[in-house]
Amino acid sequence: MLYDIRHKTTFNYEENVSVSHHVLHLAPRRHPQQTCVESETIVHPQPAVDSIGEDYFGNPIQHLTVQKPHKQLVVDAHARVEVRPAAQPIALEQSAAWEAVREQLAAYEALDAYERVFESPYVAGDDAVYEYALESFTPGRPILAATMDLTGRIFREFQYRGGVSDVSTPVSEVFTMRQGVCQDFAHLEIACLRSLGLAARYVSGYLMTRPPEGKEKLVGSDASHAWVSVFAGELGWVDFDPTNDVIPGVEHITFAWGRDYGDVSPINGFIVGGGAHQVSVAVDVSPEPSP
Amino acid sequence: MSASNPVESAFGSADTKLLDTYLPSPNAYDELTSGRGEVRPRWQRVLEAFTAMGGDATQAAQDKAQRLMVENDVTFAALGDRDASRQWRLDLFPLLLGPDEWSAIERGVVQRTLLLNRLLGDLYGAQRVLKDRLLPPGLVYGNKQFLRPCTSIAVRDDLHLNFVAYDLARAADGRWWVVSDRTQAPSGAGYALENRVVSSQCLPELFAERNVRRLASFFRAFSERFLSLSPREQPQAVFLSPGPSKQNYFEHAYLARYLGFSFVEGSDLTVRDDRVYLKTVGGLKRVDLIMRRIDSELCDPLELRTDSLIGVPGLLQAARAGTVTIGNALGSGLVESDSFLSFLPSLSKYFLDEELAMPSLATWWCGQERERRYVLDHVDELVVRRVSSSRSLFPRGQEGLITANMPAEDRERLIRAIERNGHEFIGQEPISLSLAPTWAGSSSLRAAPVVLRVYVAATSKGYEVMPGGLTRVADGIDPHAPWLELGDVSKDTWVLSDQPVEQFSLLAQRQASQGLRRGGRNLPSRAADNLFWLGRYMERAEGAVRLLRSLVVRLGGEMGSTRMLVSPERVVGMLMAQKHLSARRGRRAMQEGREAVQEELWTILFDPECKDGLATVLGNVQRNAEVVRERLSYDTFRILRDLTEVSQSWELSPGHETDDALRLLNRLIQYLAAFNGMVAENMTHGYGWRFLDMGRRLERTRAMIQVIQQLAVRGDALTGGELELLLELADSTMTYRGRYQAAPQLPAVLDLLLCDETNPRSAVYQIATLDEHIAHLPPGGEEGIRTADQRLVTRLKNELNLADPVELGGGVMRFDTRIDLDRLLRRIERDVHVLSDHIAERFFSHSSATRVGGAGSGRG
Repeated sequence: MLYDIRHKTTFNYEENVSVSHHVLHLAPRRHPQQTCVESETIVHPQPAVDSIGEDYFGNPIQHLTVQKPHKQLVVDAHARVEVRPAAQPIALEQSAAWEAVREQLAAYEALDAYERVFESPYVAGDDAVYEYALESFTPGRPILAATMDLTGRIFREFQYRGGVSDVSTPVSEVFTMRQGVCQDFAHLEIACLRSLGLAARYVSGYLMTRPPEGKEKLVGSDASHAWVSVFAGELGWVDFDPTNDVIPGVEHITFAWGRDYGDVSPINGFIVGGGAHQVSVAVDVSPEPSP
Repeated sequence: MSASNPVESAFGSADTKLLDTYLPSPNAYDELTSGRGEVRPRWQRVLEAFTAMGGDATQAAQDKAQRLMVENDVTFAALGDRDASRQWRLDLFPLLLGPDEWSAIERGVVQRTLLLNRLLGDLYGAQRVLKDRLLPPGLVYGNKQFLRPCTSIAVRDDLHLNFVAYDLARAADGRWWVVSDRTQAPSGAGYALENRVVSSQCLPELFAERNVRRLASFFRAFSERFLSLSPREQPQAVFLSPGPSKQNYFEHAYLARYLGFSFVEGSDLTVRDDRVYLKTVGGLKRVDLIMRRIDSELCDPLELRTDSLIGVPGLLQAARAGTVTIGNALGSGLVESDSFLSFLPSLSKYFLDEELAMPSLATWWCGQERERRYVLDHVDELVVRRVSSSRSLFPRGQEGLITANMPAEDRERLIRAIERNGHEFIGQEPISLSLAPTWAGSSSLRAAPVVLRVYVAATSKGYEVMPGGLTRVADGIDPHAPWLELGDVSKDTWVLSDQPVEQFSLLAQRQASQGLRRGGRNLPSRAADNLFWLGRYMERAEGAVRLLRSLVVRLGGEMGSTRMLVSPERVVGMLMAQKHLSARRGRRAMQEGREAVQEELWTILFDPECKDGLATVLGNVQRNAEVVRERLSYDTFRILRDLTEVSQSWELSPGHETDDALRLLNRLIQYLAAFNGMVAENMTHGYGWRFLDMGRRLERTRAMIQVIQQLAVRGDALTGGELELLLELADSTMTYRGRYQAAPQLPAVLDLLLCDETNPRSAVYQIATLDEHIAHLPPGGEEGIRTADQRLVTRLKNELNLADPVELGGGVMRFDTRIDLDRLLRRIERDVHVLSDHIAERFFSHSSATRVGGAGSGRG
């Protein structure tokens, strides 16, 4: 499946901004089931510093500094990505018992994964989260079956609702409210997994959405998306999407991963001056016929 | 005390009182006496000297030390926290360390610094220690101070640690142990310096006689090496402080000045083209080196903690680009975690192929199964706590500490947390502290537990140790208290040498080694802003004090004489118009007659809680002065402090309130004059002085225009004492009398107060001075094109130069108002206001960066 993804962010300021710095995670990362055909970010006004690198987690990262006074900044990121289905379907029940994976991690056999066992700035667990996770992780249960069960419970027991939370809403609050958006559900599921001593990471990307039956898809109506990945021993990392109760396939396009949202937020910026500001984001994910 | 006190016999009978109450403990090492009760050799001369001084002289020296601390305003307090108990306190009995013992400490902490530096290089680089399984990875991955974005910074010369500290404690067997490592941004060295300054002043003979090693060359060696880390000639180094809201602010300013680095806060710096610049009144100046006192995670909100308000967005990219060197390197707080302590012996062999020379306090990190079990099995014998601990110099209590007498519920909660998140907890043996003689007043000494903080800096000869340190006295008598509860008493630390010591002062040396310098060019915009407002508030305070004095005089009788004709009510009205008095309070006072005016007056003058009282006016001065403290001389700052303190401590005697108030107001005017004199005579006439003076001139013009407006614009004859009051408020009565020897006439008064360029109180004098200041400031805009402030000040000057006092004072009146005078005053008032804005706009733009997120991003 080939996708054309556009993520356009427009900042409007009441007064002149004398200098602005931004860090972007708006280019798709290396991924065994993905090929990035093309990726480009157009910034207006022209930044004085525009450098591309790789962050600690191997995600592409871009630094911008705009140094001339401006009242508007447009960051228009565009990418074409080919997503291939997994070679074979994931056999949930055939995965290792979750306790075995935990032992393996604790024995430092997978250093990279082990790093994702610990709390991170946006993901702190507590007793309630641990108890909640234990209901899915019964003794000896295959890790992927248990994670699928947990994913389904979050999907069913939590209401998708925008506007009740923001980036800084702690997991414990989401847990009590029983509602939130994709980011909250991802953070919650990660907190559950980590509270058990398992390794989980936050995946940031896009989801192809379909318009309601018989309607045209609206341009810019899509949003960036987030889901989780759990370390399953020999099977490596396996993704789960608690917002949609699915194992991501060719409709999820991966851009970046890290410990939580903080590591991979699509765009983070600081400005000097500017007064009041408005941000508008337009995201389009359009499938193209495969070549 | 009983005669069996073993010390007494050893010390003789000359002044046994000194040691009467001194009780060594059988369980702790005693710094003063040996196990057999003899005074240790290193202490003998010092103790003799104190004994020779006698109790009274010792007490006097102790009092002097405290007074000097107050006078030098050495505080351990955040801005606005004027709690007297946070005054820095020094006990004059030093901690003495002999040459051999000191060499052992030096060896231990130098080796440790080399080790921690290597460890940081590895953890932020190849992570061999994790791959080779020398360290459990959770120790690093679970540590919030492991800052992943810093892994891509190449640290110059692999020097992660430039300046570190260690807290040492002496066990019962006399060995020194490391209690904690301080690798982030260690505090206290400035206090150690100040302790030395004060103790050498209070005990001059004793200090000179002993070969006490000096501290200054240590700081020079550090500074030289630090500056050498920049490849540029004449590098610009700054000292980055989190600002006056931190308890250690005094020390930050002190050290910055001592080292000769520019003293800055995050908002003073900006990153352009991946380079760091200092925002000064003369534009952006390149910064090559940053000595930081801000924790790493708060240094760059763009890539580290986004909620930091004190950082510099883009700093990490500049560090990656190699255009700036930061000391200690960003991320260095990682290895100060106490969870590393138990791994240092094996790391020492791994990195240095040496045994660890100085042991650490026995510590078990609960991130490992076996250690966790051990800790949970011995939870009552060990000190069990969260790893992230208070990092105050004087910690009070501990977060997440398990204690025997805590509620069972909390205890279980903590134990559950240890079982699940063991990597966040440690168990430690209780600390054993040595006891050192400490002045207890009344000619006696007590044995108090002490902790020694020593400092290590990178120099061109490798790591060197400051020959001294900061000794802190623990509050409790029990040296085995579960955790360091340190009181706020400190001691100087004397490292004794068997050779004559070098005499050397850093301040003198800098001049010689770096060539002559003229300061004041790199004034940060924020400092300029603060100085400008300090000038305005000082002048405003003076205006308020003069008006209040006029009011008190008018309440105090002598109502017959002409100069008193202006009624107190009218003066109250002026106080209201100048916003020195709230309308509510003013109206209330006036409605209820003279007695009520008096009552309100005492409230305004003496009640520290009164919102529109003197305390508030002076409080504004104080607050502004504190944030620019490092730019004022000690004497100047002392005057400011006396100014604000004198009114708080003023005694009112019933029945003589008027006299008391007058004396207070006169005293305040003297202090204000002393401050102005200090500024004029003692402050270098660089940019800082100019901004301070500009603030004052603007405020003085504004106030002068207002009082003329209130007293001279309306009314036909002005024979009610208005002109006398006007002259009195402008402190120009004598000048007028000397010049005219007659009752005041309006044209002549206006000439003196508005147009006379020789009268330092006249409006035109203020404007001419402002004009001169602006001419000396860095030019703005295109060459030859005058800036808005320059144009405005020229217009003001012309207006006043062209004004005709005779016409203004005698001109057309309409509706009982002198139209021309009224118009002129209104124009000037408006222009002065606009001028202030223009100056702020051109020189003070130092706003902090604010965060803009892609709202909706990642919120699917």
